[in-house]
Amino acid sequence: MKMTTLVAYDNMKYYKSRNILIGIAIILTTMLLLVIPTVGRGMVDLQFAATNKIYPSWHALYRGVNEETVRGLSAHHDIAKYGLRSDAGYMSLEEASVAMMFVDQTGMELYHLKLTDGNLPRREDEIVVSAGILKELGQPGDIGDMITVPCQIFRNGELDLTEQKVFQICGFIEESDSNREQRAYTALVSEAFIKKEVPKEEISYRFLLQILDEGEPTTVGIEDRIQEIARQFQIPENEININTEYLAANYVDPVTIPVIVLIMLIIVIAGVITIYSIYYVSMNQRIQEFGKLKAIGATKRQIRQIVLREGLWVAAAAVPAGLLIGTLVSKTVIFLFICANDGRGGFMEEVKEAAQSGEVSLYYWWAYLLAIAVTLCTVYLSLVSPMRKAAKVSEVEAMRGQEMGKKTRSRRNGYEFITIGRLTRRNLMDNKKKSIITILAMAVTGVFLMVVATVLSCANPRESANSSLVGQYEISPVIEESNREHPERKWTEIQKDNPLTETLKQQIEELPGVKRVSAFTGLRVTSDIFIEDDINWINGIPEEYARELEKGIVKGKATYEELKSGDKVILAKAMQHWYPQLDVGSKLKLVVHDGDRRFEKEVEVAAIGDYGSGLTNYCYLIMAKEAADRLSEYHSESYFHVIADQDYDQTLFESLEQMVKDSGRIQMRTWKEEYETWSAGMVMTSGAAYAFLGILALISVMNLINTMINSVHVRKKELGMMQAIGMSDSQLMKMLQMEGLFYTAGTLLISVGFGSLAGYPVFLYSKAKGLFEITTYHYPAAAAVIVAVSLLMIQLLLAVGIGKSVRKDSLIERVRFSE
Amino acid sequence: MNKDSGKILVVEDLVKYYGTGENLVRAVDHTDLEIERGKFTAIVGRSGSGKSTLLHLIGGLDRPDEGKVWIEGKDIFALKDERLAEFRRKKIGFVFQDFNLIPSLNVWENIVLPLGLDNRKVKKEDVEEVLEKIGLTDKMKTMPNALSGGQKQRTAIARALVTRPAMILADEPTGNLDSQTELEVMSLLKSCVADMGQTLIMITHDEMIAQMADRMIEIEDGKAVNC
Repeated sequence: MKMTTLVAYDNMKYYKSRNILIGIAIILTTMLLLVIPTVGRGMVDLQFAATNKIYPSWHALYRGVNEETVRGLSAHHDIAKYGLRSDAGYMSLEEASVAMMFVDQTGMELYHLKLTDGNLPRREDEIVVSAGILKELGQPGDIGDMITVPCQIFRNGELDLTEQKVFQICGFIEESDSNREQRAYTALVSEAFIKKEVPKEEISYRFLLQILDEGEPTTVGIEDRIQEIARQFQIPENEININTEYLAANYVDPVTIPVIVLIMLIIVIAGVITIYSIYYVSMNQRIQEFGKLKAIGATKRQIRQIVLREGLWVAAAAVPAGLLIGTLVSKTVIFLFICANDGRGGFMEEVKEAAQSGEVSLYYWWAYLLAIAVTLCTVYLSLVSPMRKAAKVSEVEAMRGQEMGKKTRSRRNGYEFITIGRLTRRNLMDNKKKSIITILAMAVTGVFLMVVATVLSCANPRESANSSLVGQYEISPVIEESNREHPERKWTEIQKDNPLTETLKQQIEELPGVKRVSAFTGLRVTSDIFIEDDINWINGIPEEYARELEKGIVKGKATYEELKSGDKVILAKAMQHWYPQLDVGSKLKLVVHDGDRRFEKEVEVAAIGDYGSGLTNYCYLIMAKEAADRLSEYHSESYFHVIADQDYDQTLFESLEQMVKDSGRIQMRTWKEEYETWSAGMVMTSGAAYAFLGILALISVMNLINTMINSVHVRKKELGMMQAIGMSDSQLMKMLQMEGLFYTAGTLLISVGFGSLAGYPVFLYSKAKGLFEITTYHYPAAAAVIVAVSLLMIQLLLAVGIGKSVRKDSLIERVRFSE
Repeated sequence: MNKDSGKILVVEDLVKYYGTGENLVRAVDHTDLEIERGKFTAIVGRSGSGKSTLLHLIGGLDRPDEGKVWIEGKDIFALKDERLAEFRRKKIGFVFQDFNLIPSLNVWENIVLPLGLDNRKVKKEDVEEVLEKIGLTDKMKTMPNALSGGQKQRTAIARALVTRPAMILADEPTGNLDSQTELEVMSLLKSCVADMGQTLIMITHDEMIAQMADRMIEIEDGKAVNC
């Protein structure tokens, strides 16, 4: 073995405690570097496997395509495969929903639809059904049998009146549990049936296509080509439906790689800072040793090699351990993710199956290579500066035992009397640079942790739920504009006979647990300045929300009193997305649709407000309720918001549900459902983020441990001395704890202070970008407390541990101790 | 319980062994000793005879395997570590061969450190008096690294004296000094102890210094052979 390698190996063993700390930092770094890409890729692969099973395999579909365009598209050189679908209508069934459509053979493949028996329909009276459909129809049948189907056909852009049609069953289609559960099925009819039933000019197809994927196209590349083809055939943008899930699952998303690189860069930085700082802190201690080596003839290069190889020896032991732990952690994380989402059915079931069946391998050789390479780079980067420093040691200075570049003072004013506190302060001040480096190295992670915690704490599922639903229950009439079978479900008809009556309101208010019911008024309006056929709504908000309305104003000024006039509105900010030309002061000539009546009304935009969808319900022209009511001859209440004592109360829910059922004309949304949806998403995200940050924090804690052990080690004799002249054990402990407290306080001050400050702009950015639906700033108090408490705990434990290890040597040994 | 309170120090059947089997070192082997208040006692012996171990045991820096040490009638090993540390800083002053000053504290701070550890108020005049006695008044703000060997040892002596302990234990205090400085330091130590009526127990190799003592004790193989 080369001499430098040998010396490095011996050094590694000699400076055991410090190298163990560096080893732990390397293990954690390697582990994270392996876990992040493995879990990232593993989750993506599992989801993709599930996506490929569940989602159809068309890249996009163009809606509303006529026969002529179909012919043009089918000859397009960029399209690898295409299929057709055309919707005929629905079966008229009370409880179940059965769509009737034509899908061609390729369309069946692209939709993953399979016949269990028989053939696709060809004749106009042929139909493919499933057992569930027959059950809903209440008619038994097999291939060749005739059935009578009550159905509504799409004509004139709406569902026509029910007709009875007789079909012959020609095949059976697969049905899933979710079909049966939701009582929603698909029956297949022939193209001939559609051609016979629907006027020729009204027949429209959905054109399903797969783009020719030569080379290695990205999701963005494929989407661009889909848009391009649509432009060539004048297919409007809102008629394009891109299968983003399928594309994401099968093609590379150019955004994913930078995100993973960024996360890995953060790990590398944390690793470099920690390992560098551990070396920095203990370097002075070893200056004599390097000086002696130089004095007996070691070259600068050899000294550098000794430092580097010592680091590499440690890495050689730590990296395999990190890979092993990383492998186990990756498996556990994925397993936990699947368990956490168990029982949510559908998609997650497929993910679970893909994981358990082993059809997706969760070992990636490249992730191991990457982790090894990046960790070695990290170790090298952290050693660059110590190597240079060690090589620069002057033989004479080193032999004299002076610290490199440290000016030794010969006089100092000093204190008149000495206390434990002053002893501590003197030690910290004498090692200012060491103390600062330790604090900064830990604070970097702390600041990062606080910033992420800010974003996560702002992403509050309770607030997101509050923002998307006012009160605890929301009751509204069932509105259906294009169903000839149910003309009474048109809004203008509902106005004439609104199920949201005063009696219903009173009934709800009488239910135990209900505080009040707030009724919102809705009025349909059209205008020349809106896109053709775009229907907007005037939203009449009751006075109890006056404060909220005024608080949400982001531009202009409007009081609730002013909104009572009916001439002024607050425009919800969301509407500016479609109509950016609308601003404060804009005058809108609206046509109000009130029952069968149409009349013009001019309103002025007094202010722009930013409100949650719960308050606006996508009705963006906001007025006082009394003003909106004055515009209508009818009862135009569009929403009842039920404000209850508790977030959720089973009895109240059941009573309300009964009312909904009895009426048959109203529907309900609950706060609880909204909350559950939001929190389910957040639990995983924040769990993963905090686990990641926790490990990052652990890496930097190695630093604190090293600094404190080192500070005690180099002063072993001094401490022994102090004890010989009467410092008691408790005084020693107090001193060590005060030193640790200084590091803790410094780290906390920077982490929490600077982290909190830095968190705010990041919150603003996340809000602007719509990340996690963040709306309100929340100080991450819990995270700050947890960071503070854990740091204090670690530091206290460390002081106790170090105190114990110091006392392990007898006082005599300590007094005699000399390096 | 008191043990012959006329004597400042009584050592009774003291035993301290290190190692086991073939490596067993009988550093202190059933030693008995009595020392009177206000006397200067020199402990002599060859290197490795167990002098330092005896001194450390007397000073309560280490605990014996067997036997007892009574200082001013108090059995010091009956005290718990915390109390022993307190007892040590009140009753005993140490002077070591290699000075053992705290490098980050200046001369004044090194001297007042034992007072601080004992939560005692620093009487400026007292400290100044000690500084004057050791001749370092102009060096009180100097850091240890800027002092000569003799100055360092004088500072260490001042530190041992400042709490006015009953007993000063010195472990070859002049071992690292040249002969001129050695005499200076010795006479300083002797006069200070005499002035304050303290008891001085000193380990030395130097026959001449041993001759300055009121009494000489020779240690051989862990035993006091010539009391």
